[in-house]
Amino acid sequence: MSKFTLTNGKTIVKPFNKIWIIVACVALLLYLFSRFIPFDPTFIKLDQLKVILEKMFTPKGNRTWNDYFMYIPKSLMRPLQETINMSFAGTIIGSLIAVPLAVLSAKNIVKTKFIYIPARFLMNLFRTIPAMILALIAVFFVGTGILSGIIAITLFTFGIMSKMLYEVIETIDMNPVEALESTGATKVESLRYAVMPQVLPMFVSYLIYIFEINVRASTILGYVGAGGIGTVIKDNILYNYDRVGASVLLMLVVILFVQMLSSFIRSKLQ
Amino acid sequence: MIKFVDVSKTYPNGVKALRGVNLEVKDGEFVGIIGLSGAGKSTLLRSINKMISITSGKLYIDDIEISSIRGKELRMLRRSIGMIFQSFNLVKRMSVYNNVLTGRVAYHPTFKTVFGLFPKEDKLMALESLDTMGILEKAFTRADQLSGGQQQRVALARALTQKPKLILADEPVASLDPITTVQVMDDFARINRDFGITVIANMHHVDLALKYATRIIGIKDGEVVFDGKSKEITDEKLVQIYGRSLRHDEVLGE
Amino acid sequence: MRAAELALKRKPKRWVINLVFVGATVAAMVYSFAGSTINWTRVRTIGISLRVMMEGFADLQWDFFFGTGIFRFEEGVIYLTLVTLAVAFIGTFMGAVLAIPFGFLASHNIVGKRVARIGEAILVIIRVFPEIVLALILLKGFGMNALTGVMTIGIHSIGMLGKLFAEAIDNMDKSPLEALDAVGANAWQKIRYGIIPQVAADVSSITLYRLDINVRSATVLGIIGAGGLGASLILAADSWSWNILGTILLAIVIMVLTVDAISSYLRGKLV
Ligand SMILES: Nc1ncnc2c1ncn2[C@@H]1O[C@H](COP(=O)(O)OP(=O)(O)O)[C@@H](O)[C@H]1O
Ligand SMILES: [Mg+2]
Repeated sequence: MSKFTLTNGKTIVKPFNKIWIIVACVALLLYLFSRFIPFDPTFIKLDQLKVILEKMFTPKGNRTWNDYFMYIPKSLMRPLQETINMSFAGTIIGSLIAVPLAVLSAKNIVKTKFIYIPARFLMNLFRTIPAMILALIAVFFVGTGILSGIIAITLFTFGIMSKMLYEVIETIDMNPVEALESTGATKVESLRYAVMPQVLPMFVSYLIYIFEINVRASTILGYVGAGGIGTVIKDNILYNYDRVGASVLLMLVVILFVQMLSSFIRSKLQ
Repeated sequence: MIKFVDVSKTYPNGVKALRGVNLEVKDGEFVGIIGLSGAGKSTLLRSINKMISITSGKLYIDDIEISSIRGKELRMLRRSIGMIFQSFNLVKRMSVYNNVLTGRVAYHPTFKTVFGLFPKEDKLMALESLDTMGILEKAFTRADQLSGGQQQRVALARALTQKPKLILADEPVASLDPITTVQVMDDFARINRDFGITVIANMHHVDLALKYATRIIGIKDGEVVFDGKSKEITDEKLVQIYGRSLRHDEVLGE
Repeated sequence: MRAAELALKRKPKRWVINLVFVGATVAAMVYSFAGSTINWTRVRTIGISLRVMMEGFADLQWDFFFGTGIFRFEEGVIYLTLVTLAVAFIGTFMGAVLAIPFGFLASHNIVGKRVARIGEAILVIIRVFPEIVLALILLKGFGMNALTGVMTIGIHSIGMLGKLFAEAIDNMDKSPLEALDAVGANAWQKIRYGIIPQVAADVSSITLYRLDINVRSATVLGIIGAGGLGASLILAADSWSWNILGTILLAIVIMVLTVDAISSYLRGKLV
């Protein structure tokens, strides 16, 4: 707080700016949290970063550049296909099973607290757990391979889609629902004819967006045994950095492509 | 025939929207309901198809007491009553045809309607209703491409497709401009006359109510304070219903 | 009747398109599953797996959780959770600070279309570079510890934050900048008095949202040794010790839900 006196004798008080409280809080948290992070300059070997990048993006030993790049079509197509397949299947199944939960979580459709509160709890529970941990658990149940990837991505998609979808449902125009009810329609019929047409475009748009996220996530799910490119990365991380590098390059191209395709389709949907 | 016996409605928040209403509406009548905003007009109208349930009294439709019906019976009741809303209540992203076809959903089991499996008669019925309303050529355009007046006609076509014996209209022309208003009101009059469908309409503009309705019901604070032929309405009666003389916006003017 | 019948013939055959669409999706699904080698013995024993998991969950290791008894506090879940939170928080902070210049660099309003394109391209590359691979690289330079986690999250977050910051800058009201031009302000002064006051709320809100994501990332990064809960998680998973896994999962759920709740509360305050 500071006080100003004008030349004509009037005084005015400038109130304390709350921004300083926020700055102080952030600074305090940074200080407290920094005590959990080891910081010893003698252990930092930045030159090693250059070494590993070189190892990743140049052919190893007596391999040629031709070997480096031919590895992609020769050995990475099948894992890539697995990655895409599990993202696709998981996105579709997860989104479909998210629909009933989203409906049950929407306050404007289900008016009883006893239904929408537990529904939302379930939804948040799935959203909490990172996809990789879901994959880890899935591997326990069905073994390593693409099936556990599909299960992990399904559950992960289920969590995000149900949240996004219920938020859309809660913003729809309820007038058509009223009209449908006035004709004697059942709840399911009102959902089909008054709610679905309003949310379908957003649903499809989210579906594509989540597919994009899933391709990115599924790249690494293989790291815990869920198949796809991640498995290749894990298998080669100790001795064949150039194979890892080639996999990363392939994934960059694929993800960029999926992202462009996804924004193109979504812009068409608007 | 509709019969209200001592009907009252108290909303959960304690608002008494209807107080001891007694009424009888015969088949084929065109009833205009007038009154101040908040007088209870919508509540009265919506209690007829149980979009809201009354809290006391009895309400008969064709001698069936409706306060206890639910489930399938309720849906059967509602499908025999068309309802028209101030903001049309169409599914904007859906075609006009599909909107009108929703008037048939209560005639078929849900497992068929969710897949859009309607018999051919129903499809023709929907298109004929559109033809009756003079907008058949708009059948396969999206509802939000239409003007307000056209959208209200689609809503009327949807109601007609229900093959109703009664149409309830809650401020049907309040969102329309004066010229369209007259056209839509003419449509109501025609439906009432040609198909013998009873029409009960809430109206904001008193002169419209007087022009089109054969009978006027005046509501004030949830009570019926006037019930008689349109011709019997006088300025004193209006003062009684409105508690004051009419404001400029409550008459359409010529 | 005639008119209606003719109109019915005109009805667009939407169902044909729908059928083709649904058919194609189903076919692609079948294909996706067909490519997968399913371990049927494992699938058949799901019931047993479930029982094993439930038994583990019923036997949560509270000494391990609190870091008491035979465990040192630094080995306990609470401590590891704090490390995970620290990685997420400091990493997010670092990412936000680094993202600010990138935000300007990718903003059409500030640097013009040409430069903004380059800025956007850099941000896209950062965004699509798999986080775990980035961590594997940084591991060599910063060691198997939480610092690697911080660096990974800090760098990876720039991609999304920079893009959203640029959008916030591009969406703001430009008239105050004109006014500042009129009083003769230089570029830095325009940023301080014309841009920061306008975008501060959006930028904070975006950063809080990213914190939600990063808390989950920090957990996962531990799996490859970048500090926090992940390392214990993967160790327990290797031997399928569900009692230990369950204890860690409990901490993850509590941590993520708490951070989500705080962050959405604060974001609500910001608008
Ligand atoms: N769902 C509701 N909950 C509580 N009060 C309501 C509800 N609907 C209407 N009311 C109240 O009931 C009274 C009558 O409302 P309404 O029937 O809509 O009047 P009108 O249609 O004549 O304007 C008003 O005081 C209104 O505020
Ligand atoms: Mg009303």
